[in-house]
Amino acid sequence: MPQQSFKKSNLRLSLLFLGSVLILGLISTTYSQSNLPKFSPPVLITSAGQSAEVQLAAVIAKRAGVDATLVKMATPDNLGENKTLILVLGASLKGLGAAGLDMNEEINRVKTLLAACESRNIPIICLHLGGQSRRGELSDKIINLFLPQADLALVVRSGNQDELFTKICQTNNIPLILLDRPSQAVVNFKEIFQLNSPLP
Amino acid sequence: MILLKAMKKLFLIGLSLYLSLTPLSGHNQSPADRHQPHDFQASKAMVVAAHPLAVKAGVEILRQGGNAIDAAIATAAALNAAEPFASGIGGGGFMVIYLAQEKKVTVINFRERAPAAAQPTMFHLAGRLQPKWRRTHGLAVAVPGALAGWNYALQKYGTLSLQKVFQPAIKIAETGFPVSSTFSSINKDEYDKLLEMDGENSCYLNQGFPFEPGDLFRNPALAKTLRLVAKKGIKFFYKGELAQKIVQAVQKKGGIMTLEDLASYQPLEVKPLRGTYKDYEIWTIPLPGSGGLHIIQLLSIFENLPLKKWGYLSPNYIHYFAEALRFIFADRARYLGDPEFIKIPVAQLISKKYAQKLIAKINPKKVAESYPSTDFSPPRHSNETTGNTTHLCVVDEQGNIVSLTQSINHFFGSGIVPEGTGFLLNNHMDDFSRNPNSPNAPGSRRHPLSSMGPLILFHQGKPFLVLGSPGGTRIFSSLTQIILNIVEFGLGLDEAIEAPRFFSYSLKGEVRPLFVEKRIPASVLDKLQQMGHKISLRQAYDKYFGGAQGILILPAGQGLRGGADSRRDGFGGGY
Repeated sequence: MPQQSFKKSNLRLSLLFLGSVLILGLISTTYSQSNLPKFSPPVLITSAGQSAEVQLAAVIAKRAGVDATLVKMATPDNLGENKTLILVLGASLKGLGAAGLDMNEEINRVKTLLAACESRNIPIICLHLGGQSRRGELSDKIINLFLPQADLALVVRSGNQDELFTKICQTNNIPLILLDRPSQAVVNFKEIFQLNSPLP
Repeated sequence: MILLKAMKKLFLIGLSLYLSLTPLSGHNQSPADRHQPHDFQASKAMVVAAHPLAVKAGVEILRQGGNAIDAAIATAAALNAAEPFASGIGGGGFMVIYLAQEKKVTVINFRERAPAAAQPTMFHLAGRLQPKWRRTHGLAVAVPGALAGWNYALQKYGTLSLQKVFQPAIKIAETGFPVSSTFSSINKDEYDKLLEMDGENSCYLNQGFPFEPGDLFRNPALAKTLRLVAKKGIKFFYKGELAQKIVQAVQKKGGIMTLEDLASYQPLEVKPLRGTYKDYEIWTIPLPGSGGLHIIQLLSIFENLPLKKWGYLSPNYIHYFAEALRFIFADRARYLGDPEFIKIPVAQLISKKYAQKLIAKINPKKVAESYPSTDFSPPRHSNETTGNTTHLCVVDEQGNIVSLTQSINHFFGSGIVPEGTGFLLNNHMDDFSRNPNSPNAPGSRRHPLSSMGPLILFHQGKPFLVLGSPGGTRIFSSLTQIILNIVEFGLGLDEAIEAPRFFSYSLKGEVRPLFVEKRIPASVLDKLQQMGHKISLRQAYDKYFGGAQGILILPAGQGLRGGADSRRDGFGGGY
C-alpha cells in the first residue's frame, strides 16, 4: 500500500513536471513567434532555381488564406502592387530545363527582381521546402547568393543538417523558422501575415 | 482516439519496415552506404527489382512453387503498389522470356498503342506544336497494355492465376510502406503535375502535400482495383467498369481514347532480336523497343576497338562511346518507328558492316562537326524521348528467366488517375515524334517508339546475364556500359551497375553535351573537353542515367548474383 501511494505521488509529480514543461514550451514558442516580423499581402511568390517547391509555397499560402500570386519566372514587372515577395530557394535541372533557362540566366533574373524589391522596400521571405534532397552544388549556390537578402526564412529541417541556413541567418540577423515538414508553414504564414482564420 | 490513430500508424510503419527489411536470404542485406557495390546472392532462384517489397513479392511466389513468369508478374504488379510513380497497370512494356527446357527465347510486347483517332498533327493547334498536350493532357495517354501483357504471359507460360500472383501487390497497397527518399524527391519534383491533373486530394499526395521520407504511403483504392481485376479478370479493365472510368478520365482532360480502343488492345508475342559481341549472344526485344537494337549496334562498334588497352573510363573510351551514340541517334531519328506500319532496315542497322562504317566516321582526336545519318533509303524524322521506367529480372530454379521493363513514361505518368482507382495513366504518346512527317509520328493504333532494352546475354550458349534499365534514351547507353564494365573491364555485377555513367546524343545532326556523373575524374573530363566535348555535370549517382537491375548466372552450381541500382531503390533476393 505505501509503495502504491509512493508510485501515485511520483506519477503526479511527473505529470506536473511534464505539464509545466509543455506550458513553458508553449509560452516560449508563442513568445518567439510573436517576435517574428510581420508582412502584408498581397504576395508575389516566385522561384530561385525553378524547383517544384514553388508550387508548395502557393498551396501553403492558399491554405493560410494569404492573397498570393505565383509567377515562377517573375520579373520586376510582376511586382505590381504586391507588398511581399516569397522566394522559394532550390535548383532543379528538370525545372530549369522546362523553363528553358540555364543557371546564370536564372541567377540574373532573381538578382534583378531582388534589386527591384530593395528599391521599392518590398520585404522578402525565403523558403527552402525541399529538405535534404534539395541541397547540392546548384541549390547551395542559390542559397548562399539570395538567403542573405531575406527578412525571414522558413526552412524544412532536414535541409539544414549542416546548419548552412542557421549560419547564414545568424550572420545576417535573419529570423529563421525550422519546420519538420512543409505543411507546418501554414501556421507560420497565418502568424506572419496576421490572419486569424484561413479562407473558406 | 488520436492516440489510437497514432499507434495504428506506428504499427503500420513498423510492419512495413519489417516486411521490407526481412532478409530474403542470408546474403541479401544491403550495405549501410546504399551506393557501395553489393551483389545479392542466391543459390537457386532470384528476383531483382526497384523496390524491396516488390522483390519480396516475387520471391514469395517462387517459394510457393511459381515459375519465373509467375514471379515476374507478381513483382511487376507489386511495383505498381510499391513504386507507383514508374510503372503500373496504366502503362505498358516488354518482357524477354527464356524457357530453359525448350531453350527458347520469346518476347511479349505489351507496349501501349495510340488510340484509333490518333493522327500525325494531333499535338498541333493552328499549325503550332503544343508540347504540354504530349505530356500533361488527356491526349498524352496511350492505350495501356500492362495488364493484357501480364495476363498473356501468365496464361501461356505461367503456372499460377492472376488472382494468386496479385495477392502480394494487393497487400502492399493495402498495408502501405514508409516512403523512401527516392519516392519523396520524385513526388516533390512532380508535385505540380499531380496538383494540376489529380488535385490536392490525389492519392499520390499526403493531404495535398508531397510525401516526406518516412511517411506512410497506402493506396487502398489501388488495392480495391487489383482485387477486382484479380476476381473478374482483365476484361474488367479493358471492357468493364474500369474501361469506362479510364475513358471518362482521359476525355475529361481533352483526350481521344474510346472504349473501343481499350476493348481492342492485344499484346503481341514476337521474335526476339539477336546480336553478338565476341563470343556472347544478346537476345533482346525488337522494335518498337529500340534499346535492344542500339545495344547491339554499340557492342558491334566496341568489338572492333581496343577497350582494354584504353582502359576503364579512359578519355578514348568515353570519346568513342559519345561519338558512336551521336551517329546512332542520327540514324535513330531517320529510320525508327513501329515496324507494324513502316519498313525499317533493321538487318542493316545491326550489321557488323554498319558498325565498321560508324567507326570510320569517328575522329579519334576530336568531336565531329556534324552527325549526318547513314543512307539506307527511307525518309527523315526526328524523335526525342525522356522516360522514367522500371526493370525487373527473375531466374527460377528450373533456369527459366524473365527480363521485364515496364513504364508509365515520365514519373507519375500523365498525372491522371481514373476516379477512385488508385492507378496512374501513362503519357507514352510523348514517345511519338513531334514531326508529323516522321515514321514515328502519331498514327491510329501505332506503338510509339520506345528506348527500352530488356535483354538476356548468353555466353557459350548458356544464359550469363539478365539485364535491363529505365532511363529513357539513356537506357541503351547505360546497359552497354554495364555489359562492357563486366565483360571487358572485369567489374563485378553491382560494381558495373554503380560505376559512373555518361551519355550523349545528337539532335538534327548537331552535337549535344556529354552528360557525365561527376564521379568521373576531372583529369579525364579535361581531356574530353580538349577533344571538343561540352561537359554537362550531373549528380554523382543520377537517376537520369536509369536504375538498372541484373542477375549474373554463374557457371553450374555456383549460384546467382544480383545487382540492383542505388540510383533508385533497387533490391535483390532469392534462395
